[in-house]
Amino acid sequence: MYARMIARDFRRNRSVTLILVLLMMLSVVLATASAGTLVRPVGASSDLMTQADAPHVAQLHVGPYDQEQVDAWAAGRPDVAHHQTMVMLGISGANLFFDGTAQTDNIQQNSLVVPNTERDLLLDLDNQPVTEVDVGTVVLPVIYQVEADLEVGDPVTITGSDGYVTELTIAGFARDSIMNPAITSSKRLAVSPADLADVRAHTGEVEQLIEFWLHDPDAESATFQKAYQDSDLPAAGQMVDAAAFRMFTMIGDGMVAAVVILVAALLLVVGMLCLRFSFLTAAEQDYREIGVLKAIGVPGHGVKQIYLTKYALLAGIATVLGLPVGLALTPLLTRNITRYMGSVPSVWNWVAPVLAGTAVLTVLVLFVVVLLHRFDKISAVTALSAGTTGRQARAVMRLHRSRMPVQLRLGVMDVVGRWPTYLLLFLVFAVSTFIIIVPVSSAATAGAPAFVNYMGTGQVDLRIDLRHADSTSATEFEQMVAQLESDPDVTAVAPMVTTRNDSVDKDGNTASLYVENGDHTLLPLTYAEGRAPTAPTEIALSLLAMNQAGRQVGDTLPVQVGAQVRELSVVGSYQDITNGGKTAKSVLPTGEDDVMWYMAGVELTPGTDAGATASVYAEEFAPAAVADIEQWRIQTLGPIAQQIMVTAVVSAVVALALAALMTALFTRMLLARDAGPIAVQRAVGADDPGLRRQYLTRVLLVLLLGVVVGTVAANTLGEGLFNLMFEGMFGGFESLGQGTSRIDFAVDPLLTYLALPAALLAAVALTTSASSRSISEARVSTLTTE
Amino acid sequence: MTTDTPLLEATGLTRSFSGHTVLHGVDLQVHHGELLSVMGPSGSGKSTLLYTISGMDTMSAGTVRFDGQELAGLNQKQLARLRLTSMGFIFQHVHLLKNLCLLDNVVLPAYLAGLAPRSDLNDRALQLMERTGVAALADRDVSEASGGQLQRIGICRALINSPTILFGDEPTGALDSTAAAEIMDILAELNADGMTLMLVTHDPRVAARTERVLYMVDGRIVGDRRQERYAGAHLDQRQTELSQWLMAGAPVRT
Ligand SMILES: Nc1ncnc2c1ncn2[C@@H]1O[C@H](COP(=O)(O)OP(=O)(O)O)[C@@H](O)[C@H]1O
Ligand SMILES: [Mg+2]
Repeated sequence: MYARMIARDFRRNRSVTLILVLLMMLSVVLATASAGTLVRPVGASSDLMTQADAPHVAQLHVGPYDQEQVDAWAAGRPDVAHHQTMVMLGISGANLFFDGTAQTDNIQQNSLVVPNTERDLLLDLDNQPVTEVDVGTVVLPVIYQVEADLEVGDPVTITGSDGYVTELTIAGFARDSIMNPAITSSKRLAVSPADLADVRAHTGEVEQLIEFWLHDPDAESATFQKAYQDSDLPAAGQMVDAAAFRMFTMIGDGMVAAVVILVAALLLVVGMLCLRFSFLTAAEQDYREIGVLKAIGVPGHGVKQIYLTKYALLAGIATVLGLPVGLALTPLLTRNITRYMGSVPSVWNWVAPVLAGTAVLTVLVLFVVVLLHRFDKISAVTALSAGTTGRQARAVMRLHRSRMPVQLRLGVMDVVGRWPTYLLLFLVFAVSTFIIIVPVSSAATAGAPAFVNYMGTGQVDLRIDLRHADSTSATEFEQMVAQLESDPDVTAVAPMVTTRNDSVDKDGNTASLYVENGDHTLLPLTYAEGRAPTAPTEIALSLLAMNQAGRQVGDTLPVQVGAQVRELSVVGSYQDITNGGKTAKSVLPTGEDDVMWYMAGVELTPGTDAGATASVYAEEFAPAAVADIEQWRIQTLGPIAQQIMVTAVVSAVVALALAALMTALFTRMLLARDAGPIAVQRAVGADDPGLRRQYLTRVLLVLLLGVVVGTVAANTLGEGLFNLMFEGMFGGFESLGQGTSRIDFAVDPLLTYLALPAALLAAVALTTSASSRSISEARVSTLTTE
Repeated sequence: MTTDTPLLEATGLTRSFSGHTVLHGVDLQVHHGELLSVMGPSGSGKSTLLYTISGMDTMSAGTVRFDGQELAGLNQKQLARLRLTSMGFIFQHVHLLKNLCLLDNVVLPAYLAGLAPRSDLNDRALQLMERTGVAALADRDVSEASGGQLQRIGICRALINSPTILFGDEPTGALDSTAAAEIMDILAELNADGMTLMLVTHDPRVAARTERVLYMVDGRIVGDRRQERYAGAHLDQRQTELSQWLMAGAPVRT
């Protein structure tokens, strides 16, 4: 008998049943996809790092180098398991041609290397080590296959200023566990030892990559790094650790995964609310029937059985349909990862999404079980006598005091009068708006020119970096600045000297800090709080450094300058995600031994071709690295922004579908519930188009409120979530919620405040009109025969 | 007070619900100013007759003319307009909108018709409520009035657009006898002022006060009785005569 009742119920509520299945299916799809997007990059990146045996700490160094000194130091340290030094031959973009195109606009520093054979391996596209490269060929980093469309067989030409030209053929592409993504600005091009020696004789700048493997990297990395920095070992360059490699690899895909997970979580909550709503409405309709069942002696659990079977069946169908869609969607969202890091054929790639989908199913069914407790409260007598459970409506507004069109006014009055009924719809609209705006704004923010502000650099046109190699570097830099200042195309030069100074962290331990010294008022950097330091007694800290030091703007911070410790007052804070994120700005004297590198920010006269100027300077100021900031931004952040945009499109489609489905479900339920009042209004002479307008008014009013609240939430809460994500990615778990990221959403007003709400409006309005046709079926006659 | 062209004329009116015929080719004429009641056992099709004849429900066969106009020739919107401006309805359970106050319930059809400035319509609604003795309840909720009071509000709503005919489906069915009598007084007064009324009822005391009684069985009009206009006296005797007629099988008598 139960089976027949369920079958009849499905037939009777065909469209509502369909909508419910679709809603639950959306939840399953997103849960599956988000598990997939999370599991794949984590799996792929750790697999890449394991397969390649990535170093735990790496120090770049340009200048005189003594291998024996490093060997002796490493031998004396019990925490070092292995160490090795790789020679990298940096080729300037002007001397490097991919398929005939000079790489002057390429912001990457390309270096020729002979691939390692034991550790820190380069892996081919099948994740097999590239240990040998044939003479006359080159294996390029995978980024050039993805972003520059190069193919095996294309030529790579290297020239020298002495007229030297050599041509190598691309033999393949390789994944680099520590320099894979665009945001790591060094790239390793693998060649044969013979070719490296040949090129080295004519062009290029040699750089050492000193690599260490520790016995227990998690526990020892920090102490090891400090010890290295305090020694007099070669350190003319950046030091990076495994955490940073992982972070660089994860930044793009991590953001994608975070967005998808956010959308999935919100959708599950909304899905449950919808389930509750439809369940209660159905229960209301079946109230009398339940009473009858109880009256004829069907036990309470028998009644529950019917409902549980019904909803479990629906959830089951939704899961069966949703799982494959979610699994199919995952490759689209993780396309980027697959290309850069390869896909690891792990069972988890399938098991985790299926588990997530099944978990959603379980949650939905358990939720129905909880809802079923309501049925215990229905007694046979009250069900048969009372009929419905509806609350008594009250008149809060007055029609006879209004000038509005009648149906419009009635719509507004109804929403105001029984707002709890509309709360769910409102929530769904607000969440949909949120789901649409946050990913779009995240993508827009990552792709906006202003984003360089959060990378510790103002929006200058060019950035010229010169490493401190020896005592001549300072004069070299001064000459460069003087030359820049005399250039008619240059409107402003901001010379900066970065030193490494000892300071303290919040526990009083010594911590080193990269301090950029110079006239900071010349760089148009946006400060999160406070202002730029203008005197040697002042310092501005990056948000991460601020957090590490446990200081606020207005406090003082002890900083070792030369031989003495100075108490500097913290006058400002800014966001920086470069150099490990813990940086500072001041106007300290720059004693030679502390200098790490020199940098000049250059503003050009409007209309000057920044790219062309950059390549001229690159040649002129070699070995200094010249970056066209706009190009740099486009090449490093562009792919990330694009990948988030794909997610944003998926989210928007999901949100629109959610809003439309919920509108359909809600409108139908509302019309079923309102059959009485509709019949009455038709009886007194209201026409159907007018009644439809009234229902459209109700839904659109709720939509309007939902969109407003959703938009505000997206720009506050959503922005907060975005920053939280950044904090987690750049500072690790301990900096979560510490305010180390304060990125403002870059909002495209036309898209966010016009196009997207318009799309939502169109979807909702169309669905409401389509769903409100049943208004014509409401008859007073059906009420009186009841 | 009958004239030659009937206000409402149904010929061969048939209504079926999925194969089950509820009205079997009913012929009926209602004249201007008539006070008509329809009696019959439960399920005999009285309500269905009322709703099809007023164009609220669709008919399966037959024709209905209202004021010389064929209902089948009107579209949904025109039918709605006709109900709005020319017909009034009162129901057993009144069917007021619970999210409107009582005055709002009365003015709603007037606002929908939009034939006069809203302040004038508000005034007219209050006049009607004054006349039926419920003006003091204007600002109350539906839940804050008695059954009799609600039915008066229902009558005011039905009258707000000055219809030519008032239909009632068991208008006193949910009321105690005192309240029912009061409602009948109001309806009789309306009729005296020239309003045409067609009331479906179970109650012989209501039917006894009308001047024409139809008796329906199984979707057919089996009895049509005309009686003197009720002048306020001998109600018991009229009721006895009516009962005798009904027990005799309600033979058609003109
Ligand atoms: N909308 C409807 N759908 C199906 N059957 C209906 C509908 N309305 C009325 N009926 C049936 O038509 C018959 C007459 O109903 P009704 O006109 O309400 O009778 P009365 O008002 O005389 O009690 C009943 O058998 C009823 O079940
Ligand atoms: Mg009836």
